Amino acid sequence: MTSIESPAESPQFAETEAFLQAIRDRVGQVVVGQDVVVERVLIALLTGGHLLLQGVPGLAKTLLVAAVSKTVHLEFARIQFTIDLLPSDILGSEILDQRSHEFRTRKGPIFTNLLLADEINRAAPKVQSALLEAMQERKVTIGNETFRLPAPFLVIATQNPVEQAGTFELPEAQLDRFMLLHRLRYLEPRQEKEVLRRNAQLGIRRDESGGAVARTEFDVLEQEPVGGPEDLARAMEQVQQVHVSDTFLEHVVEIVDRTRRHPQLELGASPRAGISLLKAARARALIRGRNYVVPEDLFDLAEDVILHRIRPSYEALAEGRSGLQILEEILAEVSAS
Amino acid sequence: MTRALIVLVTLVLAAAAPCQRADQRTAKVGARARIEQLVLPGPELAARPISDTTKDPIVLRVLATWPHGVADDGTEMHRYDLEWVGLEPGEFDLASWLVLKSGADVAGLPTIGVTVESVLGWDDIEPNEPADGSLPELGGYRSLLFGLGLLWALFGVAAFVWIARRRGDSGDQAGDAARPRSLADRLRPRVEAALRGELGGSERAELERLLLGHWRQRLGLSDVPAAAALAALRAHPEAGALLRALEQWLHSPEGAADADVEALLRPYRDVRDEGQE
Repeated sequence: MTSIESPAESPQFAETEAFLQAIRDRVGQVVVGQDVVVERVLIALLTGGHLLLQGVPGLAKTLLVAAVSKTVHLEFARIQFTIDLLPSDILGSEILDQRSHEFRTRKGPIFTNLLLADEINRAAPKVQSALLEAMQERKVTIGNETFRLPAPFLVIATQNPVEQAGTFELPEAQLDRFMLLHRLRYLEPRQEKEVLRRNAQLGIRRDESGGAVARTEFDVLEQEPVGGPEDLARAMEQVQQVHVSDTFLEHVVEIVDRTRRHPQLELGASPRAGISLLKAARARALIRGRNYVVPEDLFDLAEDVILHRIRPSYEALAEGRSGLQILEEILAEVSAS
Repeated sequence: MTRALIVLVTLVLAAAAPCQRADQRTAKVGARARIEQLVLPGPELAARPISDTTKDPIVLRVLATWPHGVADDGTEMHRYDLEWVGLEPGEFDLASWLVLKSGADVAGLPTIGVTVESVLGWDDIEPNEPADGSLPELGGYRSLLFGLGLLWALFGVAAFVWIARRRGDSGDQAGDAARPRSLADRLRPRVEAALRGELGGSERAELERLLLGHWRQRLGLSDVPAAAALAALRAHPEAGALLRALEQWLHSPEGAADADVEALLRPYRDVRDEGQE
């Protein structure tokens, strides 16, 4: 059987599994009911892929990313994308030092471990492409000098699906740079009740001057991380040791190929989609405590990995078919053929 | 002597020049005609503006006007150069197309009669004989279109029949192979091949998908999204056990060698579709 072989010495996943579980538990203390999103953020962290979160405002996207960065002791930066944002506002620029009469490089907020690009579709296309280029190449050129971005480097971008006026929709080629596009959904009533209950207990915080301010969820984030970049790097190495069977590769190829042959799809999944599916499945297997991937990983991740990379044809849209319906149809066919 | 002769001729010609003024009172339809140095009593006159609505038979234009002194009765006089065009045959009075400069009608003008003649007689409506030309194409334009359309239709029908026959032939050759087979029909040979240890990589993947499909069908999960269906299968006592064993065999790095394929797949040797059970 030809397959991506794991090392002869079987990896000890227990320590890593405990580290990842600790991250999930810590994040779960402040973010309620977003287990899947937390898992997707971890998958992105472990694979070095980038994550696009699509959802209405108020679903704790920023809180989630801030919590993950503090839990793993990563540098965190947030950029609110607006129409007047310039590429240099993200990447950095050269400024003239009046005293020395020399140009000095001022690095932008992109030089961080975890970058939250809030409402990425509100910025002009040149800003989007500047960020996406840096995301792919993991280096930035300012003036004549090229700087490598820190490792790990992960962009978690968000976009709001309802307020589309004055936005610049990311084209498929740009969306393809994101390994995962996860669509956030509203909480279930039980989870919503828990959010309210926790919020009601936050209380008031007094500062040194005696002034009072209402505490937010950000105030209850524990400062002590459960691990550091070293633990994360070890986990990333272990993702590479997760065994991928030839049978699993066949499943991946079958799904990707079917998106390209489907008559109602104008644009099928790219080769990068298959690679992303494989990477994400390995990370998910590690998070779930397995040292090998199974079809469940594939089917669970297919929507987040593939849906933003396919485009239904005009005829399919005219018939009222959505990309999700077509993808579900393909997955149903694959899992029964 | 010669110089004196030239001066004399020049003076004679100069004296004779006013006598050569145009006075075209007759013209063909559409042709321009001029009446020059026409002296009319009264204040300065102008041509009546051309109307868009009335179809005047005469178009009159005043080319130039000069004062011409005072008549014996004290009335001022003017001298005019006129150009006129007749648009209909007949006799007309150009005075009818003159008005005061202010646009008001003028009375008491002498008649300026003109005659517009037609080249053709008033009852001459016969067209000219057509010039000799080449013979028209056979059948004309409509016949040509009809012929081309008929040809196109015949060709189209012939092509349709030919394609249909070809498809029919290939369909016959494909025979039963093209007929969709049931899930059980496809599963059985794969299970048999697996038991014999003859499954390749792609066939193992197909076997796994067929077994998933079999259980989705059996538990009524065919219409459930694939991810949710798989989670439900794993939670099912019988299907879950099979899936975990199957995953151990097909996906685990340790499980490939020591998997009991015989025990795993024996229940699916004689599997039938749900409707056939």
